Amino acid sequence: MFDLEQAIADWRRQMTAAGIKSPVPLEELESHLREEFEQQVKSGLSAQQAFETATQEIGQARALKSEFEKNDASIGARFVELTGIAWGVIAGVFSLWSLLLLFTCEEASWFGRMLGLVAIALTVSSWRYGYRVLPIIRHQHVRTLIGFACCAASIVWMGTFVKLILPSLIVLPTKVDASPTRLMVSFLWAWTVAAILASAAHGLKKVASRQDHPAVS
Amino acid sequence: MIRKELVAASAEPLILSLLDRGESYGYAIIQEVKARSGGKLQWTDGMLYPVLHRMEHRGLIKSRWGESETGRKRKYYSLKKGGKTAMAKHHEQWSLVHSVLAGLRKEQYV
Repeated sequence: MFDLEQAIADWRRQMTAAGIKSPVPLEELESHLREEFEQQVKSGLSAQQAFETATQEIGQARALKSEFEKNDASIGARFVELTGIAWGVIAGVFSLWSLLLLFTCEEASWFGRMLGLVAIALTVSSWRYGYRVLPIIRHQHVRTLIGFACCAASIVWMGTFVKLILPSLIVLPTKVDASPTRLMVSFLWAWTVAAILASAAHGLKKVASRQDHPAVS
Repeated sequence: MIRKELVAASAEPLILSLLDRGESYGYAIIQEVKARSGGKLQWTDGMLYPVLHRMEHRGLIKSRWGESETGRKRKYYSLKKGGKTAMAKHHEQWSLVHSVLAGLRKEQYV
């Protein structure tokens, strides 16, 4: 006896295995599959035949996946995504290096070390969970533009820090005792700001791809 | 049967023109195109959705989840302002191609 729900569950598993994991395309394709199935049954086919015809009409999972992938394949979007990731990796490496220095430097205060840990926690959180607080921007060009602006702001910020802020921290003779902690913590926080900005470029794409949950469940 | 390159190229203007008549959903769009072309313009059904999503990302159309008459969830698409502009451009360009072809054909038989 043909079980439609079981057949649809199996079909969804095949689609997921082929890489269509986002809920929206699957929900939408399933809705289409059910309509086509009903149409085929009305035209006189058996339930089994109607389901087979409907799945053929929908198309092969791999071909569909490759079509869906094209949606995010614009050169600008890719560039922003890669720049964001590259800059995030650089920020992460420098942050960890600064933290290591902070913990191995005997003159560093515990307060400074705590500030360093908070900075690392913020960097990790912004990359892991930051997308949750970002707005949903459905228009791809606008999203790419904002992502590009975030990457540029991150780079400009580090340039400003190194050119203008860092020298003033180094050449404060009266603060010699406090300088190792101050310098390393400042450097670490500067990279944290850069990493958070870079994570926005990555997060905007992530939130846009996850936003499409159906309003009707 | 129409060549797949032409089918692909005509997808966007056809979708825009159909949605200009009112909100619709994937299955209905496909059926409408099939019916209007006498079955000669055939899309692989599933391939319509990546196209719809792409058009939505480009700000040409918008979507909302709703319910069918039988209570089943269904994603409805409608035209945005950008879509109307894009549709006008498509009509202009396809009309130009059509008039050039028609002119050449006419000359052939004169």
